[in-house]
Amino acid sequence: MRTIKIAFLNFLFYTFFFIFSLVAFVGLGSLILFSAAFLPKRKILKLLRHAIRWYGAVIIRILPFPFIRLDYKNYGLNESSGPYLFICNHRAASDPFFMAVFPYEIVQVANIWIFRLPALGVIAKIAGYLSVREMPYEQFAAKTCKLIAQGVSIVAFPEGTRSRDKSVGQFHSAIFRIALETHASIVPVCITGNENMPPIGSGFLYPGVVKIHRLPALTWDKYGTFSAFKLKNYVRDMIAKEVLTMDQTE
Amino acid sequence: MTEHEVIKLTNEVFIDSFEIESSKLLPEANIFNDLGLDSLDVVDLVVALQKKFAVTIRDDERVRNIRTLGDLQQFILIIKKEIGK
Repeated sequence: MRTIKIAFLNFLFYTFFFIFSLVAFVGLGSLILFSAAFLPKRKILKLLRHAIRWYGAVIIRILPFPFIRLDYKNYGLNESSGPYLFICNHRAASDPFFMAVFPYEIVQVANIWIFRLPALGVIAKIAGYLSVREMPYEQFAAKTCKLIAQGVSIVAFPEGTRSRDKSVGQFHSAIFRIALETHASIVPVCITGNENMPPIGSGFLYPGVVKIHRLPALTWDKYGTFSAFKLKNYVRDMIAKEVLTMDQTE
Repeated sequence: MTEHEVIKLTNEVFIDSFEIESSKLLPEANIFNDLGLDSLDVVDLVVALQKKFAVTIRDDERVRNIRTLGDLQQFILIIKKEIGK
């Protein structure tokens, strides 16, 4: 019975995923081409990044429902409008889609494979997503600082790779060096329940509840005296502690 | 400089610059996996070590082979001996 349920979920999800993506890309492409005629580049990018968020929201909230449900908790209420550096733990290839829960103009720091995906990779490139492994730190820093200055929030998965055992791996420090340079607020984001959506090495989605906890922002006045090394471990410990609690209360 | 002094000063760099607990500073500790440094942190480490030991190691090819804290301590010991000759 469970196998039938999983097969049904995947059939439904992927069918609607491809149809919706096709419609969204054609619609989005037309909108961008149309607006390029009379809007400045900055406004088009802003529009595109919000459109990606709306697209992601449909992918995570509507298409897999009721097999996969989202439980999002924001513990950072009454905070400013950003921009923020969202720092997330990483368990599944679907994680970038879950970032659609954040109501901001966002650029994600992504691995190379994202940019090699058909259609999605092209859109990510046009939207200015950052392929961190394809550029030296100085170039990454310059691009990221410019985005933050423009009011764009950044999403990063500083483990650099998906966790295979639910633990939170060591963090890379690049994004924390950017925080120290720009004084941007850091928002730790904890994601659990997503490890089978899909599991590493598979494309199959499994039913379940994905929990996302947005922790209160760590502001410059709290971390300004930290080194990049101390800051990355401080944020990693915050996330690891919350993730452990979330896993235990499944 | 004795091996004991090199170990002591190297550990001081990790404690002062990275706030790593001394109990974690074992010779077999992997600098990346166990102590949590990444390539950018290593740049900071090299700067701190150069300052601490008054040596230049930034362009030394042997740095690439260092994996553990013990490797690093032995490397600095060799460098100090080469300078002393």
